[in-house]
Amino acid sequence: MSAALLATALVAAGCGGDGGGGSDSDPTSLEGLELQVMGWSSSEAEDEALSALIEQFNAETGARALFNPVPEYDATLQSALAGNSPPDVFYVDSNRLPDLADAGVLAPVPDGALSDPDDIYPSLREAFTYDGTWYCPPKDFSTLALVYDVQAFEEAGLQPPTTWEELRAAAEALTTDDRVGLVMGVEYPRWAVFLFQAGTALTNDEVTEVTIDSPQAREALEFVAGMYADGIAASPSQVDAGWAGEAFGQGKAAMTIEGNWIVPALAQDFPDREYAVAELPAGPAGKGTFAFTVCYGVAANAKNPDASWALVEYLTNAEGAEAWTRDFPVMPARASARDTWVSERPELAAFLAGAEYAHKWQFRPGFGDVVGVFDENAQAIVAGNGSVDELIEKTAAAAGDVLG
Amino acid sequence: MPVGSTVRRIRARRRGRRPGVLAGERAFGWLFTLPALVGLMVFLVAPILVTAWLSFRKWNGIVSPFESTPVGLDNYRELLTEPGVRRGDFAKALRNNLYYVLGVVPAQTTLAFVLAVIVNQRFLRGRGFFRTAYYFPSITSSIAVALMFTFLFQVNGLINKLLPGRAVNWLDNANGLIHLGLRAVGVRDAPAWLAEPEVMDLSLWEWLSGPSVTMFAIMTLAVWTTTGTMMLIFLAGLQSINPSVEEAARVDGASAVQRFWRITVPLMKPIIFFVVTLGVIGTWQVFDQIFAISFGGPQKTTLTPAFLIYTQLFQNSQGGIAAAIAVMVLAIIVAFTLVQRRLTREER
Repeated sequence: MSAALLATALVAAGCGGDGGGGSDSDPTSLEGLELQVMGWSSSEAEDEALSALIEQFNAETGARALFNPVPEYDATLQSALAGNSPPDVFYVDSNRLPDLADAGVLAPVPDGALSDPDDIYPSLREAFTYDGTWYCPPKDFSTLALVYDVQAFEEAGLQPPTTWEELRAAAEALTTDDRVGLVMGVEYPRWAVFLFQAGTALTNDEVTEVTIDSPQAREALEFVAGMYADGIAASPSQVDAGWAGEAFGQGKAAMTIEGNWIVPALAQDFPDREYAVAELPAGPAGKGTFAFTVCYGVAANAKNPDASWALVEYLTNAEGAEAWTRDFPVMPARASARDTWVSERPELAAFLAGAEYAHKWQFRPGFGDVVGVFDENAQAIVAGNGSVDELIEKTAAAAGDVLG
Repeated sequence: MPVGSTVRRIRARRRGRRPGVLAGERAFGWLFTLPALVGLMVFLVAPILVTAWLSFRKWNGIVSPFESTPVGLDNYRELLTEPGVRRGDFAKALRNNLYYVLGVVPAQTTLAFVLAVIVNQRFLRGRGFFRTAYYFPSITSSIAVALMFTFLFQVNGLINKLLPGRAVNWLDNANGLIHLGLRAVGVRDAPAWLAEPEVMDLSLWEWLSGPSVTMFAIMTLAVWTTTGTMMLIFLAGLQSINPSVEEAARVDGASAVQRFWRITVPLMKPIIFFVVTLGVIGTWQVFDQIFAISFGGPQKTTLTPAFLIYTQLFQNSQGGIAAAIAVMVLAIIVAFTLVQRRLTREER
């Protein structure tokens, strides 16, 4: 297996032949040009919607673009890149951007390739900017918000919490013998919102300095750990669920902290669960949440860069962004599409409100090890064999190692 | 031993041949094996060599491997001698996988042997059914099996319903079995002489944790899946034993137990060696079950070298580190096999 994993990348490296259509006739014409958009599949409906949008592009331009959702996305993409035969357009998660940009495989956004780039939320553009270069436009984004059980709140006579104290009080009041107040995944991409709300994070924004060894971080982590220790918060596995959304849908928890993706999941598996979404409660330093976003990247050595950017522009311009987010609860990355989106689903406004103060999910190459240490120690805290001190000490040490 | 004697016979025959004929045979021999050889070179030897080469280089796994830069022994240093998160993770992976090997290999070998002896009984009714039933898990997709086991091992799953006492959280339980055993006899915390000394960033106490409860669940899955294949190999071995040997022993008045230990087991020794070797190789490469069930968690107690290769290469852009781990796993497997061979040879 070990050798096989590497072999996959290497075999691909050996067969970097070229295929695809020729662009030698008229450089502006896309007639008959084959373009591949590689991504992962979130749901069948989403695949179909993107394919429909691409079909529309084909109808208008005569190109023959195609969406190719692949399993094991990172491995497939890396093999294609290492083998020098990149897909024309491909998904890039903000968390993976530094790795790809650092490796020099992404083409920067050419001047004038995208219409009205200032319409894209600056925080999202920033999520795809590395060392001052903007690489790709976001396809959409999601934020974390507080999802709560309306019936449980009514029975307890509660309003959605707006501060840590209220969150704790609500979790306490909502915890019963067969229900826990708050269910939340035990990992940095959830717990970190409390760090943000306390005015800190694992590192500074530039990822040059470790900031988790601070009184603010300690306060935030003690607050989170305290809720688990007191049994008013639980991990999904503690309530026998695969993830927090499932636990919430099954009624095993009255609140959870999840992103936009919980909406279709609940609609499909738990259509009877009546829920509402509120902004995350503010901490001592105000509000804070995470934004998760994916962009359409174009390879630095793309076969048809102009055609690829034309397709990206089509998918992410004002109409494209609106068309794409019309049927899904993910949010358009453009401010101009904001009002339409909210007016069509006011109940999800809290997710969009988070865009104002959201932090990006991004570090720098090699930082996965550090997040791994954080998660490991967070799991230990929840399992009752770890401590906040240990988490801070070990995570800071690992971050120091990687930052050098 | 069937293999050894065949080789000897062929060698003896070769010595008698004239060189001219031999040369012709040789050329044809190479010609006929060429397709297989090319396949082996391209898909086995070349990747292994490139992996070994990459283990001395810094490679992000994204650009072509030929754009990597040489770093000498840095990758190995980071994994073996420099204190830090990478060495700590590698140590955890080694520890977890070692317990996995020590648990799974003896269990699956013993179980497969016993099952093979049972289904080899000529007087057993429905032999075909049992043979199929035992072999079935081996031909089922490992991911499908893994999913089925997650249902079985859920807190309110079947396993907990069948077991007496409080429900166990199997799939998210980082407690080591040895630690749990010690706790049962009153040893809650590590004594100082175990807590203090550290080997590769893990204290001796952590090294001696035993497999975590979650790892144990994955081990039972592995045994369940592979036992069928091993049973099939044992069955083939059992059927190659000449029944007259057994009959002779019976005439001499040997009991069933005596016949099993004095005849069957000694005659099966080469097969046992083969099955154990296969088991060791397979268990040091455990990946898919971990990928499907625990993703290395909880608290990294199901992290294995093969899984670490995956995360370092595809999530952390550290292709050189991943290659170095792959080379060390290969070294471990070779070492285990050599030791095992020595042990069985001495017994002979």
